[in-house]
Amino acid sequence: MSVLKLMPSALAGRKLATIGFLWLVLVLLAAVFAGVIAPFDPLELDPVNRLAEPGWPHLFGTDHFGRDTFSRALYGARMTVIIGVGSVVVALLSGGLIGMLSAYFTKLGHFLMRGVDVLMAFPALLMALVLITLLERSVANTIIVIGIVYATTTARILYGMTLKLKNEVFVDAAVCSGASHRSILFRHILPNLISPLLVQASFIFAFAQLQAAALDFLGLGLPPEVPSWGNMLSEERIYLTRAPWLLLYPGLLIILSVFSMNLVGDALRDNIDPRFKDDISGV
Amino acid sequence: MLAYTAKRLLTLIPTLLAASALVFLFVHLIPGDPASILLGDTATAEEVAQLTREMGLDQPLWVQYFVWLGNVLQGDLGTSVFFKTPVLSVIAAGAETSILLACMTMVWIVLIGVPIGVLSATMHGKWVDQVTSGGAMLAASIPTFWLGLYLIFIFSVGLGWFPSSGFPSLSDDGGLANLRYLVLPSLTLAAPNAALIIRLVRASMLDVAREDHVRTARAKGLHPANVAIKHVFRNALIAVAAAFGFTFAALISEAVVTETVFSLPGIGRLVVQSILRRDYPVIQGVILVIVVLYMVINLLVDLAYARLDPRVSLK
Repeated sequence: MSVLKLMPSALAGRKLATIGFLWLVLVLLAAVFAGVIAPFDPLELDPVNRLAEPGWPHLFGTDHFGRDTFSRALYGARMTVIIGVGSVVVALLSGGLIGMLSAYFTKLGHFLMRGVDVLMAFPALLMALVLITLLERSVANTIIVIGIVYATTTARILYGMTLKLKNEVFVDAAVCSGASHRSILFRHILPNLISPLLVQASFIFAFAQLQAAALDFLGLGLPPEVPSWGNMLSEERIYLTRAPWLLLYPGLLIILSVFSMNLVGDALRDNIDPRFKDDISGV
Repeated sequence: MLAYTAKRLLTLIPTLLAASALVFLFVHLIPGDPASILLGDTATAEEVAQLTREMGLDQPLWVQYFVWLGNVLQGDLGTSVFFKTPVLSVIAAGAETSILLACMTMVWIVLIGVPIGVLSATMHGKWVDQVTSGGAMLAASIPTFWLGLYLIFIFSVGLGWFPSSGFPSLSDDGGLANLRYLVLPSLTLAAPNAALIIRLVRASMLDVAREDHVRTARAKGLHPANVAIKHVFRNALIAVAAAFGFTFAALISEAVVTETVFSLPGIGRLVVQSILRRDYPVIQGVILVIVVLYMVINLLVDLAYARLDPRVSLK
């Protein structure tokens, strides 16, 4: 089944997942058109109007520098999409390749998968913290760190799934007809893994948001000047008692987006090849 | 069983060695020269040269690794740059908080996760199940620090029921009553994990419910509640028990964020503060301790699992 047809059939009859999908579309639109929609510059300071309550013209109020929270939230959607997509790409490309090659070339696999085992001995957040210590705070480095953390689980999953497919008759047939290793891996095995990969991608996207927010909160994620939902929460936390709404909006935006992505992932999973269903787990 | 245990222990050793090498390399991967980083900006060239010799940094890397490993095996994890005390004692100081927090969190996870999971499974497909399953997924989608901040806002600032931060030792004034400092942090940490357990209890009970022995129990006319508890739940518990173990192992590092929110003097907060202070010997030591704990607990869980479930193949 093609990827385009996958989504409607997965969402059919699932109201909550459909709402989740629509929310994600909205986040994507906000991310793309943040520059057009945002009523204020997200970095513009207005000390006179600091900690303003939600209302007009500041829909979500203003933060302790007087910056417009609504505009910052829109630009935050941009960061959400960039971090999510970036982490998914890094995790699937590196982890996916390691997993597939390891399952296909058994000897190489022994070596590579032992390495994955060693990395998996590090709990996810701890590994992210270790890696971030070595790198500077930047958008790219946050993506790399979160991507590497989830590359290990992706490698494990893809390893298992490729092993299952490797013994199928159609692979034997491809070998007999003289297909090259590259052709067998990428033209015969990979197409069968696209839909489980899509499920894994949606779960990584969801987890990545929580990890990125946690890193921002600890002061080890995106640079402080970048308007991300995690940074907004991190910066405004000391104003919780004076301006509780400042933490409410970015928090709810994160929760809604992660929840939606999990719902969509769950719906997609129910539609994939039953052989692979138990290999991937989300929340 | 004995052979299996021995085999698992033997495979643990190379993984541990490799992980320790990674932790060791960590300090050497930091851009710049460790000696000058440790001494700070004000150090003279002679001081740097002297520390380089003292730390053995002029030796080949593999020699340094084995010297370091030898020290670690003797319980010497180095000296904290910030506290000027042995790293092991810095870590030990945070152990009480972290262990108590993890234990209290586990209590919540069991108390919340198991009953709701059982309810969800027995009401499979009904609205109760949909609400609890959806609620569990929603709970797992909440950033823990956000939940913690709002719990402080409501229950400490608003209602004044619990303290908002810190944790005096149980041996200080107040004794056991000091556990009230850990109520909100443990609830915060429990939320996403209880959500996972709810989903797991539900899934494994539904798996067991499809098995033949359950159908037989139903067919011979046992009360549905009896079937659900004695035949389904007890068997589902094996997988759930294993998950408890893995969750406990992960709690120590997951607590990083929660301990920071509630300013708890635990190992998790030590990790973050050491990173911000660039106290590399402590970072290295804490990571090593957490990773070793994590691996050992996971191994113990695997062994317990193999013992609990006779169907697990030991090959």
